[in-house]
Amino acid sequence: MGPVAPPLRCKPALVAELNMSQVLKDIANAFISIPKGLWVTLTHWSIFRPSVTELYPEEKPKLPENYRGMPTLPVDPATGRSRCIACGACAKMCPEGIITVEAETGADPKDRKPAKFTIDISRCMWCGLCMEVCPKNCLKPARTFELACRTRDGMIYNLEDLMRLGGAFPAEPEGDKQSEEPT
Amino acid sequence: MAFMDTQTLISLAIEIGKIVLIAVILLMFMLVAVIYLVLKLRWVIARIQSRLGPNRTGPWGVAQTVADALKLFQKEDVIPCGADRWLSTIAPALVFVPAYLVYVVIPFGEGLTARSLNIGVIYISAISSIGVIGIVVAGWASNNKWSLLGAFRGAAQLIAYEVPIILAIAAPVLITGSLDLNEIVKAQAGNFWNWNLFHVTGYPMLPIAFLILLIAGLAEINVAPFDIMEAESELVAGFNTEYSGMKFAMFFLAEFAASFTLAAVIVTLFLGGFQPPLHVLGGQLKGLALTGVSLFWFLAKCWVVVLGIMWIRSTLPRVRIDQLMNLAWKALIPVGLVNLLATGAYVAFWMPR
Repeated sequence: MGPVAPPLRCKPALVAELNMSQVLKDIANAFISIPKGLWVTLTHWSIFRPSVTELYPEEKPKLPENYRGMPTLPVDPATGRSRCIACGACAKMCPEGIITVEAETGADPKDRKPAKFTIDISRCMWCGLCMEVCPKNCLKPARTFELACRTRDGMIYNLEDLMRLGGAFPAEPEGDKQSEEPT
Repeated sequence: MAFMDTQTLISLAIEIGKIVLIAVILLMFMLVAVIYLVLKLRWVIARIQSRLGPNRTGPWGVAQTVADALKLFQKEDVIPCGADRWLSTIAPALVFVPAYLVYVVIPFGEGLTARSLNIGVIYISAISSIGVIGIVVAGWASNNKWSLLGAFRGAAQLIAYEVPIILAIAAPVLITGSLDLNEIVKAQAGNFWNWNLFHVTGYPMLPIAFLILLIAGLAEINVAPFDIMEAESELVAGFNTEYSGMKFAMFFLAEFAASFTLAAVIVTLFLGGFQPPLHVLGGQLKGLALTGVSLFWFLAKCWVVVLGIMWIRSTLPRVRIDQLMNLAWKALIPVGLVNLLATGAYVAFWMPR
């Protein structure tokens, strides 16, 4: 007689054993936890709490105080045009290279102003570096975000657009005039 | 042809005309109900999640379902290569028609049953079982092994939950002593404490039957937490992956029609059907006014039950397929059987005749 094989102890691994106390505990647990969940959703039902949806075209989102939008050139009420002196610092600083500035001088050689000032909004990433480096502090962020357009050319904003979007600087009170400091 | 003279032919034609008219009315009601229910489902789920439902397509989004239906209508009907063309075409019908046929016996109001069969309860459970064939055919005809698996799991779920439904329906049937749905509704006449669910002093085991019917019914119509068959994140879309356009719309329609059917069955068997909650609220009217008021109460109760179903649907997470089958075979069927035994004993020995 050869060696006798030990008796096979087959236990099907996939069949869960019926542990009655566990089953009863699960059933009791279900009777408690399901109504608890239903109570939570009931109290969250929007007839008891207002919904948090912002109905977009009718309600605009509240932008924070120092929201940094696209750069614009506000108009100085004293001169009727922007304070830009066309130094080109913003154009050099821009990481995307989308600002182009061309200077022209008036009768007075110190009276520089931009002949052409364009920003290509489609590539502007609103980093604000141009605003930081401007010596006259004339680039201000606009509080607007609805800038979609149907053509590529429509995304290139020139001087008039930027002045229109910029609005106006607040009028400074008399006797308080100081020269602007670069930031 | 002695039996087919003009008189009988005319009355036969009138009879067929009446049947066609009622069928069309029921179909229109079902479509309107589905349009309303889809919108209501989206609103309820949105409200529970602290947001708003569709409100752009018409005031309160009433045109949303119509917009969805139009979108599905104009989609290309894609039949995958290798799919069984005939079966793929009739599968949506096999799922949709049983969902529609159940409306024949439901008492919508006093005298507002399309055909008041005296075996109404058996008719309901028999016709609902035909829907299972449609699902398996849909999965098979897609030539897609994942759809087939989804269809298998779906069929297993539906067949497993047929038994608790029948056990749960049998309890009020035994107590009332009739399979006719109109008789069951009339036996709950009176005020709302006379309804089968609330009459615990008289029939103490009916709340358990109600609970079993609710749970098994939710599984039968594939709403969460038992919506394994159409679990979008798991099997793409389950058995209806390969269906597009109007065929998909049929599956969708059948699901919402079935949820209204479940609500109607629960209301009829346990919540007093078309009876008003208090007798003063319309019980003493006669004729057309009674019909109208009873229709209103029936729809109001169905509305509440559907609201409850949607509440459950948006709260509970989906159960796994093995948990689902365990629930059917190991929990609901034993409890249902014991409940049926208790009901039978009660009817035989204690119930006053």
